[in-house]
Parts: sequence; C-alpha cells; structure tokens
Amino acid sequence: MQAAPALANWHGLFDFRHLRTRMTVLYAALFALALLVVAVVAQVMIRAHAERSVRAELATSGSVYDRIWALRAASLFTSADVLARDFGFRAAVASGDRPTIVSAVSNLRARAGVANAFVIDGTGAVMGDGPADLRATLRTLPATFGNGRHDAVIATGSGTYRLVVAPIMAPVEIGRVVFAIPLDAAEMRALERLSAIPLSATMLHRRADGHWASRSGASVADSWPNSGIDRFVDGTIARDAATPKTLDLAGDRAFALAIPLAGRGTAPEAALLLSYPLDTALASYHSLQIGIALAGVMGLILMLLGSRRLASGIARPIAALDAAAKALEEGSRAELKVEGSDEIARLAESFNTMSAGILEREHRITHLAFHDSLTGLPNRTFFRQQLETAITRTAKLNERAAVLCLDLDGFKGVNDTLGHPIGDALLRQVGLILDDLASDGTVSRLGGDEFAIILAGRWEDDRPRALAQTILDRFRHPIAVDELHIASAVSIGIAVAPHDGPDGDALLKSADLALYRAKQDGRGVFRFFEPALDAAARRRRQLELDLREALFTGQFRLNYQPIFDLARDRIGCFEALLRWQHPSRGNIPPAEFIPVAEETGLIVAIGEWVMHEACRQAAAWPAHVRVAVNVSPLQFRNSGFSNIIVQALTRGGLSADRLEVEITESVFLDGENGVLQVLHQLRAMGVRIALDDFGTGYSSLSYLRSFPFDKIKIDKSFVDLVAQDPSSAAIVHAIVDLARALKMETTAEGVEDRDQLNELRDQGCSSIQGFWFSRPIEGDAVLAMIAGPMSAAA
Amino acid sequence: MLCRLTITLVAFVPMAAGAAPANIDVRGADGRPLAGAIVMIDTPRKPAAPIRFTWGTTMGQRNIQFDPRILIVPVGSTVTFPNYDKVRHQVYSFSKPKKFDLKLYGKDQSRSILFDRPGAVTVGCNIHDAMSGVIMVVDTPYAAQTDAAGHAALSGVPAGGATVRVWHPSIRSNGNVLAQAATIPATGFTASYTIRR
Repeated sequence: MQAAPALANWHGLFDFRHLRTRMTVLYAALFALALLVVAVVAQVMIRAHAERSVRAELATSGSVYDRIWALRAASLFTSADVLARDFGFRAAVASGDRPTIVSAVSNLRARAGVANAFVIDGTGAVMGDGPADLRATLRTLPATFGNGRHDAVIATGSGTYRLVVAPIMAPVEIGRVVFAIPLDAAEMRALERLSAIPLSATMLHRRADGHWASRSGASVADSWPNSGIDRFVDGTIARDAATPKTLDLAGDRAFALAIPLAGRGTAPEAALLLSYPLDTALASYHSLQIGIALAGVMGLILMLLGSRRLASGIARPIAALDAAAKALEEGSRAELKVEGSDEIARLAESFNTMSAGILEREHRITHLAFHDSLTGLPNRTFFRQQLETAITRTAKLNERAAVLCLDLDGFKGVNDTLGHPIGDALLRQVGLILDDLASDGTVSRLGGDEFAIILAGRWEDDRPRALAQTILDRFRHPIAVDELHIASAVSIGIAVAPHDGPDGDALLKSADLALYRAKQDGRGVFRFFEPALDAAARRRRQLELDLREALFTGQFRLNYQPIFDLARDRIGCFEALLRWQHPSRGNIPPAEFIPVAEETGLIVAIGEWVMHEACRQAAAWPAHVRVAVNVSPLQFRNSGFSNIIVQALTRGGLSADRLEVEITESVFLDGENGVLQVLHQLRAMGVRIALDDFGTGYSSLSYLRSFPFDKIKIDKSFVDLVAQDPSSAAIVHAIVDLARALKMETTAEGVEDRDQLNELRDQGCSSIQGFWFSRPIEGDAVLAMIAGPMSAAA
Repeated sequence: MLCRLTITLVAFVPMAAGAAPANIDVRGADGRPLAGAIVMIDTPRKPAAPIRFTWGTTMGQRNIQFDPRILIVPVGSTVTFPNYDKVRHQVYSFSKPKKFDLKLYGKDQSRSILFDRPGAVTVGCNIHDAMSGVIMVVDTPYAAQTDAAGHAALSGVPAGGATVRVWHPSIRSNGNVLAQAATIPATGFTASYTIRR
C-alpha cells in the first residue's frame, strides 16, 4: 500500500501532542483568519464600490434621459406650437377643413421626425394616422396635464407613448396638435447607448390590474413575476425620488433604478427601468478578486512553511530535552548537545548538570548502601549478596566458596584506652591489610571489629588455611596507627560451602561458630567449623531457654556449706550455693550453667533471686551465724545492685552485718572506681565483703590496698597441698600473715582432711570450709547442724 | 366630457299670462358661482319690437384686452371695435356665426362688423394671444351675463314654455352652450343651474 506511510505522516503532522504541530497550526490558523478578514473586507469594498459606481451611473443615466427628454419635448412642442399658431392652420381647424388639417399634420410629422402626429379639434375628433387605440385614447385626453406640462407618457394597448401637446388657440382653445412618440425597443436601445456602462433600459407600464409590466416586442408579458417590481416602482413614485436598488430580475441580481414618467393625470402610467446586472458590475473586479485569492493562497503556503520551520527550530531542542528526560527517568545517562545560547540552550545545560548530579548521587547512594563508610569495604548487605552469588555458583559451575570470619582480639580495650579515633583508624588499617592479603577474595566489614572474607571461584584445597595463617602471621607484628604501634591479634573462624552450610546464612553461622571456638581456644588462632561446634551451640541455646524456664518456675534452690570459725570453735557462717534440679536432666552442675547465665545476662536475675532467698532463710538462723552469697561481676556492674541488697535484707528481715558478699578479683577488670564506690556503699550499710578465690588468676595485691576487705578466702588450689608441699604452706602462711596485718579474716576453702585442718589452724587461719567439715547441705538442715555436734567434730 | 344642465325649479302655478322676472344662478362644475356665463331664454313668442340692450354694441381694445370681454348683441347688430391702445391690433374670429379678420389698425381707429347670425363669436387678436373676447349674437331680448356671484337677472319674460340656454367656454358641448326646456310662471322664474361634467 502506497497510502499507508503518507497516512502515517499526516497522522504525525496533526498529532497535537507535538509542540511543533500546535505552533504550526496556530500560526497558520491565525494567518488564514487574517486572510479571510482581508478577503471579506475586500469583497465588501469591491461590492460597495461597484454598487456605488453603478448607482451613480444609473442615476446619471436617469437624469440624462430626463434632460434629453425635456429638451426633445421642448423642441417637439415648439414644432407643434408653431403649427398650432399658424393663422392659416387655425383657420383650417376652425373651419373644419379636414384635408388641409391632415396634410398639415403629415407635413409636420415629417418635419419633426416623429412617428405619430394628430390634431384634435374642439369636438374631440382625432385627425392623423395612428393605431386605433391610441386615437381612442387621444379623444379622451384631459384639457390640461398637471403642472401645465405639455407632455405626458401614456400607456395604451398597442404601446407606451410620450405625448407632446400644443393647444390651438383662436384665441380660446379650438383644438390640439399632438405628437405621439412610441417608447418602444428602439427608443430603449437608443437610450442604452447614451450610458457609459452597458445598462439595459426597459419601459414599464401599469396594467389595468395595477401591476407593472414590461412589453416584449408587441406582446405584453410579465418577465419578472417575483422581482418585487411593483413595490419598487410604487415605492419610487410614493417617495418621489428615484433611488437605485438591488432587484432580482429574471433570476439575475441587478441594480435597478425606476424613473416614473408623468402621465395624463397625477399618477404615472409608465416608468423607465434602468437596470444593470450585478454579475456584469462585478465582472470587472474578478481579476482583482482572483489576485487577492492567489496572493492569499501563496501567503498561506509561505506562512505554513515558515511557521513549520520556526516551530521545528523551537520544538526540536525541546523534543530532545523530552527524550533525554525520559531516558534519565529510566535510569540511563542522558547528555544533551548544547547549541547556541538561548533559553533552550541554557535549559539543556542545566539539564546536563542536573542529570550528572543525579547520577553521581545515585552512585554514591548505591555505594553507601553496599559499603562501609569507615573502611570503604563492602558492608554486610553486600557481603551477603556476594556470598549468595558465590554459593549459587558452587552448585551451578562447580566452583567453591569459603567464608573466613575475623574478629580483632581486645579491640574494645583499644577503643577504651586509646579512644575511638584511634580505634577507627585501627579498623581502617586492618581493612587495608586484609584487603591486601586476601587479594583473591572479597573482604567485607560486617560491623564493629568483625570482618569477613569470601573466597569464591576456584582455589587450592589449602587456600583457606593458608590465608588464615598468613593473616595470623601478619598480625603478630604490631600495626602502625597514627605513630602508635598497636599489638592486635585476630581470631578466625572458617566455614566451607557446601559442607558447612547450604546457604549464605548457614555458612556465615558456621563460620561464626568456628570463630567463637577460636576465641574460646585462646584467641589469635583459627578454627575450621566442625559439626560438634554446632551441636554444642545448640545445647547452649537449649540451656539458655531452660534457665529462663527454671527461674520463673522455681527450679533453683540453695544449698549451704558451713564455714567453721576456728577461733570460736563453732559454725560462724554458711556459704549459699546455687543448685538446679532440671526436670528432665536432673541435677545440673553450676559450672555448666553459670557461664551461660553470665553470657546471656540471666545471671543478674538469678543473682537477685539468690540474694533474696539467702537473706530470707538466714533470717531464721541464730544471730551469730552469717550467710555468704557469691556475686558475679555482671551483677556488680548493674547499677541497681545496692538497691537489690537493701531490698533483700529488708524483705528477709536480716540485719546487714549478717550478710557477707563474696566477690572475685574479676569485678575489678572493668575498672576500679565504680566497683569501689559500690563496695563502700555496702560497707556503709554494714554488709561484709569477702574476696573470693584469692591467689588465682591475675591476683594483684593492689586490690587489698585499695579496699579494706573483711575477709580473704584462700583458694582451694593452695589448700590442697598445704600439708605436704612446703611452698604451698609458705604461700598460705604469707596470705594469712598479710591478712592479719591488714586486719582481715581468712577462710581456707576446700579443706578435706585433718592434716590440712591442723596445718591451717597452725598457720593462724580464721576459719575453714570444706568436705572435712561438711558438704553443702539443704537449707532446712542448717538449723539442725548448728544445734548438732558438729563443733565437736572440728 | 359629458355636460348636463341640472335645473332646480322653484315654480309657481301660473296665474295669468304676462311678463315675469327671471332670476337664474349658474354654478360651475366645482359648485362655485360661475361668472361670465351667458344666460339666454328663448320664448315661442318673439317680441315685435327690435331687440335692444342697454350696454350697446361696442367692443373696444383697452390695455391689450377687449373691453368688455363679453358682449351680448342682437342679431343684425353692427359691432364697432375702437382701438384705445397705443399699439395696433388685428382682431379676428374663426367662429362659425361670423368669421372675420380686421387687418392691423392703430389707435383711435375703429372698425365695425355686422353680426347677422346668432351664436357665440370668439374674437381674438392675432398679435396678442392673451386677448380674448366673446360676442354673443342673440335673437332674444332675454339674455344677460352672470355677475361675480353667478347671478343673472332678467325681466319681462313672458310666462309659459321657454328654452333656457347657458353659454360658457368651460362647457364642452358644441358651441359651448347647453339648453334646457323650462316653464316660465307668471309670478316669476327662479332657477339655479349647475354645470356637471
């Protein structure tokens, strides 16, 4: 089909969503409207001018006709009058000399050059040749015409005649000389020739029925039945002013002028109609009209082309902008060519700047979303994506994937002691080092001091181990940060897909477990994930759940181990010991669940329960028997710890000096100040403070100086060999001496036989505790023991 | 143009034969009194004595006009046309009762013509168209012209049957005369005539 593309083109041309089309159409329409107005005005003016000139010509012709007729009538009248005044002629008329009269009239007709001449005598007899009806009309001619006129136009059956009448006076009127000039077609043609324009002259007469009619040759016919000629002529007569008017004559519009011709009486019997067809009048203007039309069409075409070109010039850059904006919206980079320096060019420039800015920001946002702002390494989100991708590829492409989880050992200490800026710098440095070492992997920072490395693709079996070892080796050297050299070890957990985890989450969890194990195993090492780790972790989680359950359902109870006062030979104190009777697993040793409680923070709630329970039970004991309660460092750090003790004492009804709080040196690990404050508060209340497990761990004598403990408990490891090993005995001796010097009591823990007892008693130890004396007992057995013969056993 | 003479008679029963006065009014077609009309009553009995009118038989020319302009004369009168003007006149008539043509004659000259047949004789001057006069030649003594009120008074008219004739130029019948029969009562005749078209 040939038409299809053309059609599409037209469709595009008239698509009003295009700026270009709208401008073109608007301009063209405005121009066409202006042209139309010009054409209409021109047409109206042409018509008005044609009308004016034709009207003027008609009026001129009318008055020329009047004038000519006045002259001719005067001339004819003179001819007739000459005859009428001739004495001989008068004598002939008076004497009724008919042959003489007829010959005279005939002579006159020839001389004056008129069609018909008559003499009417006093009796009304008409002499002269002429149509019968004319003669009959002449017989009844009135004595005078209006206004003393000598001429009149009459209409008879045979035609319309202009009469010129001269009376024959002798001296009264004895007859008349009458000329009758037929106003026939020839007369009309002669009249038409007088005019400068080819108008047509028609003689109208009033018929017996009052209508105006023209004569066509000899017959009378109504040429224009519906032209309104009657109204026009009658109107002209009524106004007594000939005004040109437009009439519809024989189907043609024509300018017309009616000139009533004075008749016998007052009412005209005939009228001269001068007409000029409108078409003929306008014909001379046709070339002008065609010229205007041609100029208009050419102007319109030029206008269309010009406005289209102009509109294109404006619209093309805008369309380009539109397309670029759409491209930008869809996310692709859009750059516009800037041409010129107009508004549109500036707009394009601004658009380019804006588009560049948007893309740059988008890039930055994307980077921020997937990268860690501190180190610039990929963040956890990005890491997980990468890990998923790598794992997917292991299945599909037979590639491998491994995750190395790294954790800086003691980073918290760096932050606390050197400040966060140094900590941040250290992290940045670590990131750089790892990135450098693991060039074949993806290094990410998961948060805090946690890093992770993904090894993807194809690698040697030994690559994870080799990399971990390389990293560990590198971290044996201090790391330079801001002129500081920080010794910082790392622990590494390694998990390999798909064995250690089917997906990213599982693999990362496995690596985490391995890292946890590595940290447990002394830090600064790496561990591969083993399924056992997973089982242990699961057990731990179950234990945690069971602990919460136990706390709320009352599965805990307290046992008490007596502390025997060697100086007074009686039980001076009971140490409260937590027991957990698990509904299904039976008795669970504290060594198993206390670390979990500490890790999860449950120790605070459990410790509170212990404190309350111990105070409550001890209140029932004799006044000289105290109760000793172990307090975890975590409890100590809890800001409400003092309040808990006050509440426990108040509720239990126990006086403060009967409570002995046992703490270990580890409470001081997180700083002394806060701990000392709490200890002083407790002391102020009257609570006794005992330092537990003295001699193990990082025992520092400085603690003894910083706080006046009431009691030092000598660790079981020294007591075990105190009877056999002189060095142990020496240490115990030294501790006891030290305590005595500091005015502190001492309790030896884990005493299991008489030798140990004797040795300790010799050393001067204040009190003892252990199986030799008694295992821990149920709470309800305490009073019995106090009352029983135990003292004697010691 | 049709002319009729309508007569309104106020007639009285004739008491005795004898002379009676006649008072006649003439009105024109427009109904107004018609001056310059000539009323004539023809009676079967002709008077034995010659007819004689008081106004004589002279029609002069004065100030380029006939004076008088209407002159009633008996048949057989000789009318003189003395010229009182400084200009000359050529008095003529084409009327049937008497055609004549008096060649130019000057001041204080006079011509005379014998009017031997009854009828209206229109006279004019061939060189002064405006000059127009009428000489009514009658064979009855009962003739008079109407005054400005259109009234004519006659006396001594014999009672009995008579023909009343009225002449005026506006009457469009032959000779500008209309005639109508009438009975003259002895007590007097009074009539009003209106010329109708």
